[in-house]
Amino acid sequence: MEFLLTLINGVSLGGIYAMIALGYTMVYGIAKMLNFAHGDIIMVGGYSIFVFAATSFGTLPPWVSLLFAVLMAVIICALLGFGVEKLAYKPLRGASPLAVLITAIGVSSFLQSLAQVFFGSAAKFVQFPDLGSLSLGELTVSYSTLITLISTVIVMLALTLFVKLTKTGRAMLAVSEDREAAQLMGVNINFIISITFIIGSSLAALAGLFSLMNVPFIKPTFGSLPGIKAFTAAVIGGIGSIPGAMLGGILLGVVECFSNSVPTLAPYTNAIEFAILIIILIVKPTGILGKKRREKV
Amino acid sequence: MKNVFKKVVSFTLAAALTVGSMFALASCGKKNYAKDNETIKIGVSGPLTGGAAKYGIAVKNSAKMAIDEINAAGGLYGMKFELLALDDEHKKENVTTTYSAMYEDGMQISLGTVTTAPGLEFKELSKDDNVFVLTPSATGDDIVEYSNAYQMCFADSNQGTASAQYFNANYQGKKVGVFYKADDEYSSGIYEKFIASLDQSFKSAGVETATFTGDGLDFSTQVNMLKDCEVIFLPIYTEPAAAFMKKGVGVISNSAIYYGCDGLDGVEAEFGTWDEFMAIPQEVSFLSHFNSKAESGPAYDFVQKYNATYDSDKEPVNQFGAAAYDCVYAIFEALKFAKENLGKEFDESTSPSDYCDILTEVFNSDSFVFHGITGKCEGNNKSDISWDDSGFVNKQADKYVVKPAN
Amino acid sequence: MSAFIVKFKNIKWKRYTNYIGISLVLLVFTVLTLADSLPQSTLFLLEKIGISIILSISLGLVVGFLGELSLGHAGFMCIGAYIGGKTAELLSDVGVEGIFALLISVVVGALTAAVFGFIVGLPALRLKGDYLAIVTLAFCEIVKTAFENSSKESFGGPMGLRTPRFDKHYLFIIIFSFILVCLAVMQNLIRSKHGRAITAIRDNEIAARATGINVTKYKLLAFIISAAFAGVAGVMYSFANSTVAASAFDYNYSIEILVMVVLGGMGNITGGIISATVITFLNVKLTTMLTGDNAVLKDLVYALILVLIVIYNNAPALKYVRERYNIRALTDKIFKKRSDVSYDTDDEGKWDRVPTKIKMDELLSVDVVVRESVIDPDKEGKE
Repeated sequence: MEFLLTLINGVSLGGIYAMIALGYTMVYGIAKMLNFAHGDIIMVGGYSIFVFAATSFGTLPPWVSLLFAVLMAVIICALLGFGVEKLAYKPLRGASPLAVLITAIGVSSFLQSLAQVFFGSAAKFVQFPDLGSLSLGELTVSYSTLITLISTVIVMLALTLFVKLTKTGRAMLAVSEDREAAQLMGVNINFIISITFIIGSSLAALAGLFSLMNVPFIKPTFGSLPGIKAFTAAVIGGIGSIPGAMLGGILLGVVECFSNSVPTLAPYTNAIEFAILIIILIVKPTGILGKKRREKV
Repeated sequence: MKNVFKKVVSFTLAAALTVGSMFALASCGKKNYAKDNETIKIGVSGPLTGGAAKYGIAVKNSAKMAIDEINAAGGLYGMKFELLALDDEHKKENVTTTYSAMYEDGMQISLGTVTTAPGLEFKELSKDDNVFVLTPSATGDDIVEYSNAYQMCFADSNQGTASAQYFNANYQGKKVGVFYKADDEYSSGIYEKFIASLDQSFKSAGVETATFTGDGLDFSTQVNMLKDCEVIFLPIYTEPAAAFMKKGVGVISNSAIYYGCDGLDGVEAEFGTWDEFMAIPQEVSFLSHFNSKAESGPAYDFVQKYNATYDSDKEPVNQFGAAAYDCVYAIFEALKFAKENLGKEFDESTSPSDYCDILTEVFNSDSFVFHGITGKCEGNNKSDISWDDSGFVNKQADKYVVKPAN
Repeated sequence: MSAFIVKFKNIKWKRYTNYIGISLVLLVFTVLTLADSLPQSTLFLLEKIGISIILSISLGLVVGFLGELSLGHAGFMCIGAYIGGKTAELLSDVGVEGIFALLISVVVGALTAAVFGFIVGLPALRLKGDYLAIVTLAFCEIVKTAFENSSKESFGGPMGLRTPRFDKHYLFIIIFSFILVCLAVMQNLIRSKHGRAITAIRDNEIAARATGINVTKYKLLAFIISAAFAGVAGVMYSFANSTVAASAFDYNYSIEILVMVVLGGMGNITGGIISATVITFLNVKLTTMLTGDNAVLKDLVYALILVLIVIYNNAPALKYVRERYNIRALTDKIFKKRSDVSYDTDDEGKWDRVPTKIKMDELLSVDVVVRESVIDPDKEGKE
C-alpha cells in the first residue's frame, strides 16, 4: 500500500521531469547546446499561468480560464524561446560550445532576476480549480497526476511521430545528424532550429503547468531545480533520445520519492539521484537509450 | 625585446593603476569611519535577492519605516538616523563584503544579519571591530556568543524547548510527527532541541519524522509518511509549510494540528487569498513573538502601516519585519536611556566602538525595558522586552492559532 | 658580471609577465598592509580575488588545456575547505597555530582534493563533453550533500564547520604567494612535454593516442593537478572565513569559475587571471553599490554584461569589429606600437596560444598568426 502510493507519487513527479527533459533533449539533439535557460522558461510559463489565471478567474468559468491561461503560457514561452535563440544563441552559432553554454547561463540568470523585479521574490500561490481524485479501492490518485502522465505520454508519442513522419521532423533529424550536409541538401537550418526552440519552450510551458498542478506555488527560482533534475534525466535516458527522456524522467522521479520515504536516506536524495547518474554513465557512457557515435579523426 | 619590455611596463602600470584606485577609496586602517557622518548610520546585511529575499526585504522595509518615523518625529535629540542595507543573498561568503562596505561607509550600529548562516560570519567581524549587533531574526544560538551581540528573536534552542514543553503539557497521548528541513540550521537546530525536550511518552509511542532539503516543494512522499499523525510539528518557513499543507489536504486527517515556530508566521499569505487558506482543513498554529493576525493593538497598527507604505502583495509583512521595526526602536530607546539615565554623550560622529560600549551597558542594565510590538501585547499596551547578559531576549511568546480546524 | 648581464638580457621577459604582475601587486599591498593603511574591505577583496585567481588558473588546466568541460570545480574546493579547515581545527587543539597550521592544512587539503580529482578523472576517461560535464556537476552536488549531512562533531552538519580565521592583514599575502606557486606549476607544466601532450589530447585525442601519448595518464594528471589547486583555494577560503558551509559550493559556484575561465580565453592563463580579477571585483562592487531596493538589479546587470561580453567575444559575425576594437589595440595605440602583431616574431612562451580546435576567444582577442620561427621542442621541454 505504502509502496504503491510512493510509486504513484514517483511516477507523477517523473512525468513532470520527463516533460522538461523532452524539451532539453530536443534542443540538445538539434542545436547541440545545453540550454541552461530551459528551466527558467518553465518559470516564465508558470508566471504566465499565474497572471492569466488570476486575471481571468471570476469572469470566465474556471476550466475555460485555466485553458486560456495555459494557451497564453504556451504562446509566451514559444515566443520567448524563439526570441532568446535569435538574440542570444544565433549570433554564436559556429563559436565554441562553451561560449554558448555561458550565454545560456547568462540568459538563465537574466530571466530569474527579471522575474524578481516584476513579481518579487516571495512565492505566489496559483489558484487551480479542484480536479478531485480517482478512488481505486484504498488507493486515491488525483486527476492532476493522471493528466500529467497521460499528457506526457501523448507528447512523447506525438514528438516521435512528428520527427519520423513529417518533412520538418525529418529535416530536424538530418540537422542533428550533420548540420552542414543537411544545409547542402536544402534544409533551412535557421528555420529548423527556431522550430526546435519553439517546440521545446512550449513543452516547458506545459511542464510549468504540471509542476503547478502538483505544487501550486511559483517563485523566480521555480525552474532551476527541476531544470537540473530534468537535465540529469535527459542524460540518464540518453540525451537526444525522445523515449530516453521519458524513461530517465520517470526513473528519477521514482528514485526521488522512494529515497524521500526512507527517513535515513531522505537527506541524501539529491546525492542518490546523482550517484545513479554517474553509475549509469560509467556503464553506458551515452545514457540508457543514447546512440553511440564512433569518433572520427 | 623592447616591445616586451613595454608590455611589462604597461602591465605594471595597469597594476599600479588598480592599486592606486583601490587605495584612493580609503586611506587609513584603524580609524573612525563615522567621523564625517551627518546621521547615525544603522547597518543591516540580509538577503535582498535570491530565495530568502522576502525576509531580507521585510527587514529592510520595516527598519526603514521605523527610521523614517523617528526622523519625522524629530529624531533623537535632533539627530537623524539612516539605514544601510546590503544584500548578502543569504550566503556566508558575502558577509565580508557587505560588512566591510557598511563599516567603511560609517555604520555605527548594526542590526547584524537577517538570517543565521551569514550571521555566524558577521559576529566574528563585528566582534573584531566592537560593533553593536541587535539582530532582528538570526535565531542561531551561536549568534550572540560574544558580548556585543543581542537578539530580538528567540534563539533556536528556546523555540525548540518551548515547543516541546507545550507538547508535553497539551498534546499527551497524541501521535506526533515532525517535518523539517535537514540542511537548514534554523530548522534542524529547533528539531534537535525539540526532540531532546519531548517527553518519553511521545517517543515510546513513536515520533514520525520526515525531512526535505534544498528548494524543492514536492512533498507528496513526506505527506504520506506523516498521514497518521495527530500533531505535526513544522519548524520550517512559510513557503515549504504552505506547500506541505496544500499537499496534506485529503491525506492528513482533518483533525490534525499543525504547530510551528516563528518561521510559520505569515503562512496564510502564501496562499494568496484567505479563502484558499481556509480550504486547509487542519488547525494551523505556531509559537511566535509576533501576531501578524492581531485585530487591534500595536501589532495591528504596525501591519496596517506597513501595508500602507509598501506593496504588501509583492513584499508581504512577516515577523522578521516586525522584529526589525522593534530593533530600530529598541536602539532608539536605549540611546535615549543612555543619555537620560546613564549620562552618556554621543552624536552623529561617535565611533561604532563607543556606541557598542554604550549600548551594551544599556542592554545589560536591569532597569532597561523596551516596549515593542513583538512579544505578548495585552490590549493596546506594548509588550515588555528585556535582554539577559548573554544576549538572549526575554519576552513572552504565545501560541497563535492562525485558523482553527474546519 | 658581463655574463650575468648577457644572461639577464636573454631572459624571455614575456614569459614572466604573469609573475611580475602578481608579484608587484603583492609587493605594493604588502607594504601598504605593513604600514597598516589598508581598510579591511580591500583586504577581503584581495583575499577573494586571490582565491578566484587560483580557481581560475586551476580550472583552466582542465577546460582550456585538456579541453574537458568540468562543472564540479567547486566540489574540489569544498573538499579542500572542509578538510583543510578540520586539519587546522585539530592542529589548534594540539597547539599548532598560525602559518605552520596553515601550511600543514594546505598540504592535507590539497592532497585530499587531488585524490578526489583522480576519482573524478576516472570517468573522464570514458565520457566526453557534456556527459562528463554532468558527471562533474553530479560529483559536486554529492560532495555538498555529504558534508551538509555530516554529524555535528565531524564537519558541523548544516551549521557548517567552524574554522580558525587567519590574521586578515596578512592572509592575502599567503594567498598571492600560492598564486605564484600555482602559476609556476601550471606554466612549467604547460611548456613541458607533458603539457604539450595534454594540449595534443585536447586537439585530437585519437591522433594523440596514435602518436604514443599515454592519454589515460595525462588526463588523470590534469584532473589531479587541477583538483589539488582547487583544494588549495578551498583551504584559503576556510582561513578567510570563520565558518565553512557546504551550501556555498553548489554548481552555481562551479559555473562562476567556468565563466572566469571562458571569459579569460580558453588556454590563456593571463586572460584567466585578468577575468577572475575583473569578475570578482565587479561582483563585490555591484553588491556594495546597488544597495537597498536596487539590489535586485545586480543579477540583471551582471547577466546582461555576461551575455554581451560572450557574444562580443565569440560571435563569428563580429570578428571584424573585434579585431579593430579591443583592449590590446587600445594599449598598443597608447604606447604607439604597431598594432599589427604579425611583426612580433618573439613567440616563445606562447604555448598557450597555439591554434586549436577550440576557438581562441580571449578577452583580449588575440589573433593567431602563423609564425616563421619554429619552436625547438627539446629546448622548450627542459624548462
